[in-house]
Amino acid sequence: MSDQSKADIAVAKFLEHTDGEVASFFEACVHCGECAEACHFHLSTGDPKYTPTYKLLPMVKAYKRDKAPFSSLKKMVGLAPAQVTEEELLEWEPLVYDSCNMCGRCTLVCPMGIDIAGTIRKMREGYAAAGMVPEGLQRSAEFVKKTSSPMGVTIKALQAQIKHQEDITGIPIEVDKKGADYMAIFSSMEIMGYPEVLGAYSKLFKKAGVSWTISSVAYEATNVGVQIGSGPLAKEILQRVVDAAEALEVKHVISPECGHAYGAIRWAGPNMMGRQFNFEVVHIIELLDQLRREGKIPPGKKDDRTMTLHDPCQIIRRGGLLKEPRSLMDGSCGNFVEMKGAGVTNFCCGGGGGVSANPRAEELQTAAFSQKLKQLDGIDNLEAVVVPCGNCRTVFEDGLDAYERDLEIIGLSELIAETLAE
Amino acid sequence: MIERRPLPFRSRKAEILTHQTGIKRLSNIFAYARVIAFMLLSATWLIVETGQSDAASHVRAPENAVNLPVDDGPPNTLGTRSDGEIWSDIRHGAVGNPSSSSASGQAIQSLGQDWRLLRENYIVKYAGWFPVGVIGLLLLYFLIRGRMKIASGRSGKTIPRFTLIHRIAHWFTAGVFMILGLSGLIILLGRPVIVPLFGHEVNSIMTSAALQGHNLFGPLFVVALMWMFVKFVRGNFFQLVDFKWIFKLGGLFGGHVSSSQFNFGEKSWFWLLMIVGAVMSITGLVLEFPWFFEDLRLLQASTVLHGIGAVTLICVSLGHIYIGSVGMEGALDSMLIGEVDENWAKEHHDLWYEEVTGKSAKDDTEEGAST
Amino acid sequence: MSFIEFVEGPFYTVAMTIFLLGAAWRVIGIIRIGRKKDISPPKGSAAAGFFKGNLRHFFPRGIFARRTWLHIVGGYGFHLGLFGLMLFAAPHVAFISERITGFGWPTLPRWGFVITAEIAFAGLIVLWVRRISDPVMRLISDWDDHIGTWITFFVMLSGCFAMQESHVFLRATHMLLVNIWLIYFPFGRLMHAFTFFLSRGNTGATYGRKGMNL
Repeated sequence: MSDQSKADIAVAKFLEHTDGEVASFFEACVHCGECAEACHFHLSTGDPKYTPTYKLLPMVKAYKRDKAPFSSLKKMVGLAPAQVTEEELLEWEPLVYDSCNMCGRCTLVCPMGIDIAGTIRKMREGYAAAGMVPEGLQRSAEFVKKTSSPMGVTIKALQAQIKHQEDITGIPIEVDKKGADYMAIFSSMEIMGYPEVLGAYSKLFKKAGVSWTISSVAYEATNVGVQIGSGPLAKEILQRVVDAAEALEVKHVISPECGHAYGAIRWAGPNMMGRQFNFEVVHIIELLDQLRREGKIPPGKKDDRTMTLHDPCQIIRRGGLLKEPRSLMDGSCGNFVEMKGAGVTNFCCGGGGGVSANPRAEELQTAAFSQKLKQLDGIDNLEAVVVPCGNCRTVFEDGLDAYERDLEIIGLSELIAETLAE
Repeated sequence: MIERRPLPFRSRKAEILTHQTGIKRLSNIFAYARVIAFMLLSATWLIVETGQSDAASHVRAPENAVNLPVDDGPPNTLGTRSDGEIWSDIRHGAVGNPSSSSASGQAIQSLGQDWRLLRENYIVKYAGWFPVGVIGLLLLYFLIRGRMKIASGRSGKTIPRFTLIHRIAHWFTAGVFMILGLSGLIILLGRPVIVPLFGHEVNSIMTSAALQGHNLFGPLFVVALMWMFVKFVRGNFFQLVDFKWIFKLGGLFGGHVSSSQFNFGEKSWFWLLMIVGAVMSITGLVLEFPWFFEDLRLLQASTVLHGIGAVTLICVSLGHIYIGSVGMEGALDSMLIGEVDENWAKEHHDLWYEEVTGKSAKDDTEEGAST
Repeated sequence: MSFIEFVEGPFYTVAMTIFLLGAAWRVIGIIRIGRKKDISPPKGSAAAGFFKGNLRHFFPRGIFARRTWLHIVGGYGFHLGLFGLMLFAAPHVAFISERITGFGWPTLPRWGFVITAEIAFAGLIVLWVRRISDPVMRLISDWDDHIGTWITFFVMLSGCFAMQESHVFLRATHMLLVNIWLIYFPFGRLMHAFTFFLSRGNTGATYGRKGMNL
């Protein structure tokens, strides 16, 4: 570390991750400022520094100085941007980690279609390599190394939750069952905060006749590596799941109701591992939708409360599962009302992309949640919100608490399990 | 007792400064403004002086010259009758014989001659001096009074004054206004200013360019004016408090003046722009599309009104530009970032400040001093 | 050689060459950086996504329009106006047919030219004054943005100054500015005219692969 400054390390990583795609983004940005109008951090604070494209500035500068076409020519005549300094990187660190959920809403308004969220993900690689990561996220990463879970959920804790759910539902859950069709993984948040989801799975899969299991060594879906932006850590976390799934010889791995976990294993996964998996990754929403279409989990009595659906960014906007949760909702809700801007243009809860694991960003996250609240307030007599993401769910609960509001939050699998035909 | 410093505001201010380097740079320019003002004033005086001596040398006739009544009638009307007699006949209904076949009978008319004399002898001759005079006065005022500072300094806290759409409407109008003003002055003052300085060829080129530009941007001004009206008419109606403002001459020579969102000066500028602007728009369109209008008198009246209106707007706009930029600290913020410093608002638009914030505009310190 | 002969002759040739080579160099340079092959099992077509992404971003989404309408109107007004003038102004068609293509096409009547120019100017002015009066825009704008805007503005202004077509000097001034514009183009942000399709396409391809229907 001594002969190479933090700035050098970060810049080297910035350049390494500036591929043709990112380069085309940097080259196309005309500084029109539209992205600010889509960003809930800018909308709720009014602060210009939360303009999405501005958050990329150090990486853009590094590219323009050392990698862009004509950069050497510009350097020769003194027109290239100055070297990125450590102070600059430190100044930008909260912008990169606290004020971006990597939700991708800005891409929709961008006339150039620039994927700022994906670029922030790559920019965080530079920060992670240089060791400039917010304390909260760093702590999660340490937990992961010890226990495989960012919240420090041990297998004992999981087993206790499984036991508890078995007692409630009366259906046994078989752990480490070799040759099962499906292996489910969960986010720590679900295991500790919303263990009902385990019961919901067992109820639904029993009805559908699906054989499934949980691994005792790889039950964690949350990938802190992706949130921090550390490729090596992300790969290490993913490796556990892949190894366990292949050891148990399952055909599918079920990605849980968790936003970034889906993208991490489904889309980034094979690229990180450098190979395709011997199993298929399905999202629980995808699977439930398929089972419902096949008539294996027919809906019974509908829940007649006025309900709406929150679209977790990584599953809907950036994951492509737009219609599936809606057709499930239609089957299970008697009074399903969409929010204004529902679907791909939905607002993020404010806690995605590692922001909720970063205590420093708490105030900002609450401010950003106000945009979500505005959407919710647009629905008259709203009684419950279906939030198919464990992380969004805690953010919702914290946010509603902060604004002193009372509203029931439920997961999608639980709703489907509750309204399952007898 | 430990002195408490308003730290959060200080840091906020620092943040504004780092993120708004443009404004910072601008205020650096203001630091030299007095020097620049003095130089400009001297330069203006020099130009006026040399211009006059130039004019005098142009007027001096060559030794063998014969005195011709150049300004008394159309040139080259030679014949047995004097110009005075010809004009007298025309006024009594005689029909002239214009060389152009399309202009039958109407081409030479006495009103046209009156118009021509008015234009040549008054408008073109003096129009240019008004803006020069106003610039001189402003420079003089600046040299004596300097920049109007925010008396209690910047607080670092800001309140919103104009929305983005207000600002865009304003600068759009300002931009079109400047293009029209400059090109219009070239068209109007080509002969008395450009010809003597640069010659006929340059004047011909500049006038051709300016006329094309002027005609192209003219209709945009009509749109801009309507946009301005819609966006700014609220808050620009006159109120009782405006009379007090007039009595105190707007605080131009000291003293505190109360005002709401816009003071009497701003309101007057708004209505002047709207009314004169409307006249400019109508006369401008008449002149741009002369073939739609049969009556020559309408076109003549239009050029006169257009010229007078233009000079009026240019002169007043110079004052507006002065007070909005170098003249008053903190005023430009409202049009650049849309927010003004709280202390600026308290000092210049106290009633508006109270309305917007619900707080009293009188500081504790100020109150203590006055009672 | 007269001034007009110089700016329409050798100087124009040089400027055009720099423009073409520079723009090609830059676009190829960006593409050549390359990207790793994505080996995750696709749900849709990346190639179709590339084209779809390019088309989709021409149409602003209604939900954002309430806050961005002026920018949309200004942006489209300016760009469509500029292309209208560039391709259909009578002197331009004459110049292109004489110098490049050898054939001409229908041109705008004078009133059409004037209205198109007015729309283009109005749009450009709105875009620029927004740049200087919005805190977000002030923060993210750099000198390149301003130079690009002003150089384009002066090209357009000199063009409309020359509209009477009565002075060679005015035509030459316009050509001089066009040449400067052409030379600046490949090095500055004006290049967005060529890079936008890569940026939209790359995002579109990623989304297309994920089977996203945006």
